[in-house]
Amino acid sequence: MFEYAYCDDRLVFGIGAALYLLSAVIGLYALLRSKAYPRVGLLPFIGIAFLVQTIGLNLRGTEVGGCPLGNSFEVAQFICWSAVLLYFIIGPVSRLRLLGLFTASFAGILSAIALLIPAWDAPYLPGRFGGDPWIELHAAMAIFSYGVFTILTLVSGMFLLQQHGLKQKQHRGIYAVLPSVQQLDIMAKRLLLTGVFCLSAALIFGALFWIENPERVPIFKLSVTGFVWVGYFTVAMLRLQNRLVTRRQAYAVILLFLLALLSLWPVQTAREPAQVPHVEEPTIAS
Amino acid sequence: MSLETLQSLLVLGCSHHKTPLEVRERFTLNQDGAHALQARLNECSALSESIVLATCNRLEIYARIAKPDSQTDAVIRQLLSKELDLKPEFLDDHLYQYTNLEVIEHAFSVASGLDSQLIGETEILGQMKQAHAAAQQSKSTGPTLNRLFEKSFQAAKIARTQTGIGKGQVSIGNVAVDLASRIFGKFETSRVLLIGSGEVGQRTAQALKSRGVTSLEVTSRTLENAQSLATELEAKTIPFEEYKTQLQRFDIIISSTAAPGLILNPIDFTAARKACPARPFFLIDLAMPRDLDPQLSALENFYLYNLDDLSEIANENLARRSAECQQAQRLLKAQAWQLWLQLRRRS
Repeated sequence: MFEYAYCDDRLVFGIGAALYLLSAVIGLYALLRSKAYPRVGLLPFIGIAFLVQTIGLNLRGTEVGGCPLGNSFEVAQFICWSAVLLYFIIGPVSRLRLLGLFTASFAGILSAIALLIPAWDAPYLPGRFGGDPWIELHAAMAIFSYGVFTILTLVSGMFLLQQHGLKQKQHRGIYAVLPSVQQLDIMAKRLLLTGVFCLSAALIFGALFWIENPERVPIFKLSVTGFVWVGYFTVAMLRLQNRLVTRRQAYAVILLFLLALLSLWPVQTAREPAQVPHVEEPTIAS
Repeated sequence: MSLETLQSLLVLGCSHHKTPLEVRERFTLNQDGAHALQARLNECSALSESIVLATCNRLEIYARIAKPDSQTDAVIRQLLSKELDLKPEFLDDHLYQYTNLEVIEHAFSVASGLDSQLIGETEILGQMKQAHAAAQQSKSTGPTLNRLFEKSFQAAKIARTQTGIGKGQVSIGNVAVDLASRIFGKFETSRVLLIGSGEVGQRTAQALKSRGVTSLEVTSRTLENAQSLATELEAKTIPFEEYKTQLQRFDIIISSTAAPGLILNPIDFTAARKACPARPFFLIDLAMPRDLDPQLSALENFYLYNLDDLSEIANENLARRSAECQQAQRLLKAQAWQLWLQLRRRS
């Protein structure tokens, strides 16, 4: 059935990363040459890259016999994939200019980094999630929330850039093409609330499993996951109370995302020793 | 190749290039005047086709001469002199005239905004289209001028898409509109307060209105000024003594008073900031001396632009457009030459 499963999935991921980077280069070139931003022209490139990456994840999923979230490489690929998926969902609705360029750049760079660090793709035995659909749902939801937080971080970065341009009276190049600060701020608020909702749901699914099997969830992973959730939840609450808005909110979510990304490596390392099937499950930080 | 076509195209006109404002004012024709002149030209047997282009900065007559001779332009001058009620000698001092290939080059240049006072502006293209439509309606045009104008519109589009002559806004009002769209995106729902009755402020408010702002309020120290301005802009008025207490109701504040010192500072916005901390405020200070405290720009989510900032952006854009002029002119010359060859082949 899956004939392509015999292909090298890393090659497929490599092609996907190259296509994301190509989209980013085309967009940047147009901006630097002060030409019209090829918004519609970039979509097919990003779409093909997304398709290729989906095939890569499917190949890997077939190999490991479940959701491919067993090591840092797969997590990084999944985060990129969910971020691009989210871009395709919210991009046409929000019509935020340059979001495609920023998303493609992020997906291309993170995918390329994941490919360039072989240690991230450490082998593990298939069936790691023990075939438990709830824990797979927990992992997929958690990674999807990371996709939301990725787009949130990109939108916040765009907000800071546009605000800097307006404050410093810069009006050329990228500043003229970026969406308005108000649009970006409204979108950031919506993404923040959506991300917190997805992450909370993921944690509820994970907690159901943890309550029944406390010995199978390392305390370090649990702490990091809790820290990430508390961080985003606090920012969301402060935003709803208008106590953390616009620039400060943008800095907060960028910092949180960087910390969450950085936490992936120690979390993965923490569970490497126990590479026995049906022993561990991923958490948000997995 | 027909000698007749080679010598039959003519444009006679007056524009800001060679004529000072006080003279140009005397060359102004309103819509009725332009129609009357068009009717006179229609009756003139020396012309087979004609179009009158009358704008605030130029009055031009494009014509195809029925029988080329040296007297035809004199006939047009005479008609123009009657319509404008000016002496023929006065007209001779200020009118320019182009023939044949030069007419095509000139029409292309005018349509693309290269010949405009604000290089690259697009209003002229609409005015040319209107003039062409009016002439067609009065059956004053024929195959040559129809082709010339249609090709001019195409050439304008090519020049704008292939060069940067239309990039960036070059008037204070439109620069402010561009900035507002970088802050609010769509600002149809933005609420604008105009403080003072300065002319630049009025034009800026007008520019915002023309781009869809529906909520505009005016305040001025002199109530009569505020009321007359409000009538002109179809806006509401607020008593000058009250506007400071209502700042939180507005997104864009344009200040253009003759006050000797600052009229708004960060403390005045305390209530507004508390009421809506996430909302951006766009402050446009067009007064000299300034009305708004420069400290306002340090506030989170406050974007303060004064007259110098806006002028600098407008001038930079104008310089960029000027730099693109040569490329556009080369492009238009090539297009004009192609049309000229086509007209010669067809005649």
